[in-house]
Amino acid sequence: MLDTVNAAPAQGAAQLGWTGVVRFLHLAPRAFLPMRAAETLTLVAGRGIEGDRYMIGNEEGFYSHKPEEGRQVTLFELETLVALKRDFGIELGPEEHRRNVTVEGVPLNHLVGRRFWLGETLLEATRLSVPCRHIEEITGKAIFDPLINRSGLNCKIRQGGIVKVGDTVRNAA
Amino acid sequence: MKARPITTVKTVVTGIEEAGAGTKLFTLADPDQWDLPPFKPGAHIDLHLPNGLVRTYSLCNEPADNARYVIAVKREAEGRGGSRALHDDVGVGDVIGVSLPRGGLEPDARVARYVFVAGGIGVTPFLSMARHFQRTAQADVTLHLVVREEMPLAAHLSSLIEAGTVVVHRTSREGRPDLAELVGDPNPETMVGCCGPESMIEDFERVTAAWPAARVHVERFVAPPPIIDPDAKPFTLSLARSGGEIHVRAGQTMLAALKEGGIDIATSCCGGICGACKVGWIEGKPVHRDRVLSPYERERYLMVCVAGSDSERLVLDL
Repeated sequence: MLDTVNAAPAQGAAQLGWTGVVRFLHLAPRAFLPMRAAETLTLVAGRGIEGDRYMIGNEEGFYSHKPEEGRQVTLFELETLVALKRDFGIELGPEEHRRNVTVEGVPLNHLVGRRFWLGETLLEATRLSVPCRHIEEITGKAIFDPLINRSGLNCKIRQGGIVKVGDTVRNAA
Repeated sequence: MKARPITTVKTVVTGIEEAGAGTKLFTLADPDQWDLPPFKPGAHIDLHLPNGLVRTYSLCNEPADNARYVIAVKREAEGRGGSRALHDDVGVGDVIGVSLPRGGLEPDARVARYVFVAGGIGVTPFLSMARHFQRTAQADVTLHLVVREEMPLAAHLSSLIEAGTVVVHRTSREGRPDLAELVGDPNPETMVGCCGPESMIEDFERVTAAWPAARVHVERFVAPPPIIDPDAKPFTLSLARSGGEIHVRAGQTMLAALKEGGIDIATSCCGGICGACKVGWIEGKPVHRDRVLSPYERERYLMVCVAGSDSERLVLDL
């Protein structure tokens, strides 16, 4: 019980599942620098994103002194940006949350420990991201508290490839 | 693998220009021409110099020009060493770590006119503001620059002087200008600012005493003491295992004091929720403020990123 969410198939006409889409892609080569929007990102299996600060072997990120295999690519929900504006009046752009991939329609918090397809790449979610004071320092916006429990997902790259804005995100179960 | 956290923005010196009156302009940029962290007009950055000194300089380019940071540094032979190090030891191609930009002016749509008074090299923060408002045409700007004779950054000021934005007052010829006359009477649509030697700032504060505080902006060469919670008190950390003592200043975090003391603590969120910086405490009265420890855990542990102390001495299991 509670070891997995889909122990039993849904009864009747209910269809469990989700399909999402990649809305924005961002990267930065070094700590503190503004994230730059990209139409595509190149994900390298087991290492990270080409040109990004957390690519293993690059180690130019704010948290690079604390190595973590599951930080090869990070995701964030577009719905959280909408909620920040709706509930707190804070306008946070997709370039400001400092995760690499902004998705819509993907229940990120449900995916820890699971594999899913991001376009042609296969990711494995390792843990939820946590907010940090560092992001308030960079953005000058009081977003630490509103982002608790919804500040994105850290993933390992199981199968690399090129991710494009508009790509489909789907479960790999 | 880097053992130390990255705490500064990495920049490369891409240009050094003689700018008159013993002043040099240094241009800093990202090694790959990436945009630098954004800044407000009149903001300043700390430079972490190769000799270990950390010095603060105003950015004199405007915020729209965010692929570089330009600072003007006057060589002060009798100064504390920062300007000498920059003038004498730093060359094009050198790598300098800088802080995120701080301070500056939040442009206010209700302000229609800015009047700035600068003494000598104190022109730098207002140069950024004057350029910003000249380009955006959001407000009228007059910058009164008071110099003895030679003007710093003359080549960079000439177009602003021609446009009437910068008015130069040479004290060797005209004596010191009357600040009250330059500033005029309080007006809700006018904002006034000053940067220069301490005596000029004191005069300026005297003539603007009747102005609303929100319409007066003063930049000092030496940073004013940080604003501290009036209830915050300093305290001492005793380290039970290593035997050391660490003094925590009023308003300082325990984490910052420990780091200053050379004690390496694992951190992550720095906001009291992730649990990375949990440290045992043995004696004293901690003020917890975290959102991760249970009441039971708080009897033995605290989170050094947010915890304070209600006792003058707090003994940690470090």
